Amino acid sequence: MIVRILDVVIAGLLLGGIYAMIAVGLSLQYGVARVLNIAHGEFIMLGAFITWWLYTIVGINPLVSLVICGPIVFTIGFILYRTLFTRLRASSPSSAAFEGSSMLACFGLLFIIQNVAILIWGADMKGYSYLAFPVNFGGAKFAANRLVTLGFAMVIGVVFYLFLARARLGKAIRAAAQAPATAGLMGVNINQVLALCFGLGALMAGLGGSLLSISYKIYPTMGLEYTIIALIVIVLGGLGSIPGSFIGGFILGLVGSIVTYIEPGLALVAYYVMFMLLLLVRPKGILGK
Amino acid sequence: MKNRGVLHLFVFGVLMVFLVGVCATHSLAKDKIRIGQAISLSGPNAIGVSISGGRIYVMWVEEINKNGGIYVKEYGKKLPVELIRYDDKTDIGTMTKLLEKLILEDKVDFVFPPWATAWLYAAAPIANKYKYILIGGPGGALKLKELSLPYFFQVLNFSETQAPALTGIFKEVGVKSAAVIYRGDLHGVEYGEAMVPYFEKKGIEVKMKKSYPPGIKDLSPLLKEAESLDVDAFCAASYPDGGMLLTGQSLELGINFNAFFITVTPFSPNLYRDTFGTNTVEGVMGGGAWNAKSSPGAKAFVDKFVARFGMEPDYWGGLYYWSSLQHFQQAIEKAGTLDQKKIRDIMATEKFETALGPFWYDKNRYFVNHPGEIGQWQKGVFEVIDPGEKRTAPPLYPKPAWPKPKK
Repeated sequence: MIVRILDVVIAGLLLGGIYAMIAVGLSLQYGVARVLNIAHGEFIMLGAFITWWLYTIVGINPLVSLVICGPIVFTIGFILYRTLFTRLRASSPSSAAFEGSSMLACFGLLFIIQNVAILIWGADMKGYSYLAFPVNFGGAKFAANRLVTLGFAMVIGVVFYLFLARARLGKAIRAAAQAPATAGLMGVNINQVLALCFGLGALMAGLGGSLLSISYKIYPTMGLEYTIIALIVIVLGGLGSIPGSFIGGFILGLVGSIVTYIEPGLALVAYYVMFMLLLLVRPKGILGK
Repeated sequence: MKNRGVLHLFVFGVLMVFLVGVCATHSLAKDKIRIGQAISLSGPNAIGVSISGGRIYVMWVEEINKNGGIYVKEYGKKLPVELIRYDDKTDIGTMTKLLEKLILEDKVDFVFPPWATAWLYAAAPIANKYKYILIGGPGGALKLKELSLPYFFQVLNFSETQAPALTGIFKEVGVKSAAVIYRGDLHGVEYGEAMVPYFEKKGIEVKMKKSYPPGIKDLSPLLKEAESLDVDAFCAASYPDGGMLLTGQSLELGINFNAFFITVTPFSPNLYRDTFGTNTVEGVMGGGAWNAKSSPGAKAFVDKFVARFGMEPDYWGGLYYWSSLQHFQQAIEKAGTLDQKKIRDIMATEKFETALGPFWYDKNRYFVNHPGEIGQWQKGVFEVIDPGEKRTAPPLYPKPAWPKPKK
């Protein structure tokens, strides 16, 4: 029985680690940069495909490719914000109007990125095997690659949190999140910081995608399901709260795992039931302010 | 000013005559056969379309046109074929709207089927309503048979013939117990429901039966449960997402069964065999089945497909669809017209020679001369292992354990 419980809990954490990571990126983009990035999943897909490419063509270890993949996706995100969203922000009469128009722009972005990916890679599923062997853990078995994925997701998450909490730039980001106008008056280059946030959000998505590609098969239209999961997680954790997203991700993973153990047919139902209950009981999320 | 008005009137008149003339000639002279298809070119089902079925319609159209077209006596000439495709984005509602648009607005001559069982189930009554022939492609369900639609022709085999064949194989090799898991949609539920009674009737104990939702991200609890129940055979009715996940996870966790069967996915040499490797998939069973040894036409079809796309076709439906189109072409030629009713009547009664051999439909308009039901990967070939004369190799049992990966 102990083994069963351990089994279910760890399986939940393994899934939760990935959920947490992709949600942190979206949380940053929406919480600070005020862009509800519906195309978030497409950046995950890009990260996954770049990793797959590097692994199958050049033979680069998927974990090493994190350092290649991250900067590429970050740059795409950063440039997108500087060109597209900065302009939208300047032309929007209010922040509410900007949220609306930027979300619509993201819808467009979703279709563009997805279709370009289909043109480049085709609609098929792709995949590779890496660290595909079992590890025994107190009598329960887990895939080595998922454990490594969880480890990396935790490390990346903690580093990211420390950066936001301690580094000067991180403080500028938090200032921009709390009071953009005041932060601007205090000498924070607000456009630069917001673009940085969007870029960092894309970076987290890209890294998440890299890690995902190790244990899941990938395809150009895979993004949306992860976007939806990330949305549930950031609402669960509290909009704009990085630790909240992290906790939310793990909770979602755990709930999914426990329900799958009892009745797999209800796993996805459980996600949405939890989402609805939370909106009714605590609409600002677990760590929302 | 006055002259200008006259000029305008003149130009307008000339244009009108020209336009009307063009329209008139357009409707009189038939210069091509237009076939419409609403199919998933994006979304989760696009994966299935690209590994199974999708390319075969394209290749058939190309081959027809290379030969100048289909000879239709009514027009006294060969008519080339144009394929008009719309993307249903893996949405059944979108597919039904696009199918109606193809029939009502685009006024295509014929329609081709969408991809997946549930989609086919939604499309068949629509085509039938407008008296359009619908030759079923990828997909099949007992529930469709219950509808008994005169314009619908079922091509692919499904649970009705595959479940008994699988049971026969299990009996032959000595499987004593099984775990059955299935995707919670029309495909999964039908196969899941079909396998269990056949197994039980033949004395194979079903120790576990569970469904899972499409889009699930972790199937390891199901694999671990089946392992703890110590079953001989693990059977899954899944689509490519689940099929790949199941195989990947049982490989990663080192969970082995004496027989490992997945309905949809193993039949794909590109997605399945080549992603995991020929050695790894050795002994995996899947729905199907045929291979280049099934008939001389099958060999020719594989060669043609490889030459065109640089990869092998899928070993479940590939030959079925290709042959059904060859049957369709001969029915049009025999009818000598593009009239749906006349072609339908010929299709329903006539037998034509095709790549898989003689092709005909039974009285329910179901294709019955299947080249095989269940396949198994053996040294890179998807062998037909059904009991009976279609078998190309005896079943390999127990399935070799997953190879030890390089650490």
